[in-house]
Amino acid sequence: MTALVSDTVTTSEGAGRIAWALRGMPVLKSIEKRLTEAGTLVGLRIGVALVLEPKTANLALALNRAGADVSVYCVGRNTDDRVASALADAGLQVFAEEGAGDERDLELARDFLRTSPDIILDDGAALIRLAHREFPELVATMLGAAEETTSGVRPLRAMNDEGALHLPVIAVNDAKTKYLFDNVYGTGQSCVMAMLDITNLQLAGRNVVVIGYGWVGTGVAKHAAAMGARVIVSELDPIKALQALHDGYRVLSLADAAPQAEVIFAATGIAGVVTEAHLSGLPTGAIICTAGGGAFELPMSYLDALGTGRIVREAVTEYTLPSGKTVQVISEGDCLNCADAEGNPIEVMDMSLSLQALAAEQIATEATSLTSGVYPISVDAENAVAVIRLHHEGATLEPLTDELTAAMRSW
Amino acid sequence: MQCLSAPGVSLTDEIAGEKTDEKVEQSMNEVVATLSEPTTPPVGDASVGQAKIEWVRRHSPVLNGFVRKTLADGALTGVRIAVVVHLEAKTAFLATVLADAGAEVIVAGSNPRTTNGDVVEALRAQGLTVVAEPDGDYDSWERELLAAADYAPDYIIDDGAELTMRMAQFRPDLYQRLQGVSEETTTGTSRLHAMSAAGKLPFKTLTANDARCKHLFDNKFGTGQTTLQALLNLTNRQIAGARVVVVGYGYVGRGIAQYAQAMGARTFVIETDPVRALEAHMDGHTIGAAKDVLPTATMVVTATGGMRAIGEADFPYLRDDVVLANAGHHDLEVDVDALAAASTLTTEPRTNIVTYRLGDRDIHVLSGGALVNIAGGSGHPVEIMDLTFAVQGLGIHYLATTDLADGVHIIPKHLDDAIAAAKLDSLGVTLDEVRPEQEDDSADWLEGIPSA
Repeated sequence: MTALVSDTVTTSEGAGRIAWALRGMPVLKSIEKRLTEAGTLVGLRIGVALVLEPKTANLALALNRAGADVSVYCVGRNTDDRVASALADAGLQVFAEEGAGDERDLELARDFLRTSPDIILDDGAALIRLAHREFPELVATMLGAAEETTSGVRPLRAMNDEGALHLPVIAVNDAKTKYLFDNVYGTGQSCVMAMLDITNLQLAGRNVVVIGYGWVGTGVAKHAAAMGARVIVSELDPIKALQALHDGYRVLSLADAAPQAEVIFAATGIAGVVTEAHLSGLPTGAIICTAGGGAFELPMSYLDALGTGRIVREAVTEYTLPSGKTVQVISEGDCLNCADAEGNPIEVMDMSLSLQALAAEQIATEATSLTSGVYPISVDAENAVAVIRLHHEGATLEPLTDELTAAMRSW
Repeated sequence: MQCLSAPGVSLTDEIAGEKTDEKVEQSMNEVVATLSEPTTPPVGDASVGQAKIEWVRRHSPVLNGFVRKTLADGALTGVRIAVVVHLEAKTAFLATVLADAGAEVIVAGSNPRTTNGDVVEALRAQGLTVVAEPDGDYDSWERELLAAADYAPDYIIDDGAELTMRMAQFRPDLYQRLQGVSEETTTGTSRLHAMSAAGKLPFKTLTANDARCKHLFDNKFGTGQTTLQALLNLTNRQIAGARVVVVGYGYVGRGIAQYAQAMGARTFVIETDPVRALEAHMDGHTIGAAKDVLPTATMVVTATGGMRAIGEADFPYLRDDVVLANAGHHDLEVDVDALAAASTLTTEPRTNIVTYRLGDRDIHVLSGGALVNIAGGSGHPVEIMDLTFAVQGLGIHYLATTDLADGVHIIPKHLDDAIAAAKLDSLGVTLDEVRPEQEDDSADWLEGIPSA
């Protein structure tokens, strides 16, 4: 093992991490090749406003290599400086400073928009909304945008309903090759593993309550059960609740489940799903996390007002309730896989980020025909991602023969 | 107890030829008197270490309850115990429980890469003797183990029999006056049996690994869960759809394969024992020889407890971009030295990942081939180590209070059962007892059979 040190070639840490991620991104590599060969993005200014870490860095670099002029923005709390400097070294314009506060973030966001991007790839629709508020002349000249998340698509639809959206936006989140994988396998795996990494505890034999059985909740339940947990699902939609029952979980309202809830994952994306009353029903020492959403799902203002919070372990805050019982909140209630782990795994982000690249392609090629509004990504793009990934894994697809086509259409 | 932090304090000169306990005690006291202040700068933050140990205490109902009560009978008062296990918060909690029972505890690490500096300082602040430093290498670790030996322990809680072996080799006089050893791992158990068979084990030993409360949980669930955690955390890779090869289907291998399968991986097992291989087959894993299953693997985890489970002969079968990790005791279960020798280019793309270029393939090794869940993670879950260290704590108490022949022993069933019962009790679970009518009727029909 002495050989290690002397032979090790040192690359910059950020560049090394970006290169590591690219190894797990066969779909993006393939899409980059296709975009480069077609020249679709040549000369376009693309602004990438996603969490700045090695996987999204590869998207930015791929777009750049395909001929686009790429600038990057990210808020300080989601920026990895090592990655930011590696992108700057590669010649991209970077508007992101690790640890920057709200004010500085806003300045950086404005500077980013002043680069006059033709296309913005957004996360949470923050930059699309800022552009509409402060840079209407930019919005008028832009070709369009793409949005990554459920929580970003929702306000864009609302804006569109009120006639306030003046851009075509592709809802990347609504692609099947995004939510069926990213939300289920990506967020599911990374949130459950982050909980185990942060606490150094087991889930085997523990009662775990998953609130919300959407795609994220489904993934959290699946991975928690795989780690040996006894999963209880709380859900207000009767169909989803029935699905949870058929997947082998107990289904109980949060109030009914509370006395057994040793670990809680809130996976609803809805504010205030866990209340003060729920907390009082929990066993002492219960561990509470949010998966996919954020601290708004938890009664954080109530907990903070108690004044009893103390950090008992990195990323674990313990609150003593008036009853004397304690609850432990992970990552201050923020989505724990991003706050205190490395986010989703590489392979699943390869698919999600490839869809962003394909959304940019769709905007570039259809710009003239698209009016303002929220659009789905094309079915071809959705399928292309699946086909490339399957091919990479050595899987083969059943060919669709004329006979099968005829059989499917017969009546 | 005094704080002795200078590593490498040697008592051998003082006790050469004079092996009575009184003399050793006297020498100890002299050394203690001259070294009562730490002579090295702090290697971590004691308050951070203390918080880590406190977290362990909260989730260790067995060690903190049943074991603490059992050890309170004074049997360990003044008994010198060397604890040589991966030195992080859980081991530290065991050490404090022993110290609280009156033992003089000397703490060392069982691997140079796994010692936590914050925990070291927290133990020192509590007055325990720690001879391990973080960020060590194999040379510093050798010195630390010999320093632990030189404290002339009565008993050792050992891991891989690392200290026991070194005392036998390098401190023969102190080895002769050892009272007993309780050993943690499968690897160490094999070593003790070998020493015993060779007639070179002049004291009683317990193999904690053979306790059901150890191997059924620690090896399988503890290593299984945390190996998966480390693998995914270090690489940021996805487990669903990954093709994971597990080498060795003992308890550790079973656990890794089970968790990987449950999380959506396709699992393959390489095993030389036909019965275990058949078991893996029935558990739903794909069994095959290295040449048949390695070429499909995206991740390979070794769990044989032996050496070179993935060695030079296997390298040709590894595909480009495969991740190799080790979950067994030896750092050479993946033959990293051979890999380095064969490699044309070595890079470190991420912390704890080294990439070796073999022809046109890149082979990644996690944590230098050391136990990945400890060197690249935070070790076993607390609840698991509560059981394992209950076996160790009670084991030392049993050795100290029971007349046993020299050689290798297993912890008695009633203690093993008591640990599980204490854990279930902490969960609020009550068990049924066997009613007389539920017992087999062998007594009745045996009566009707004429004696031979």
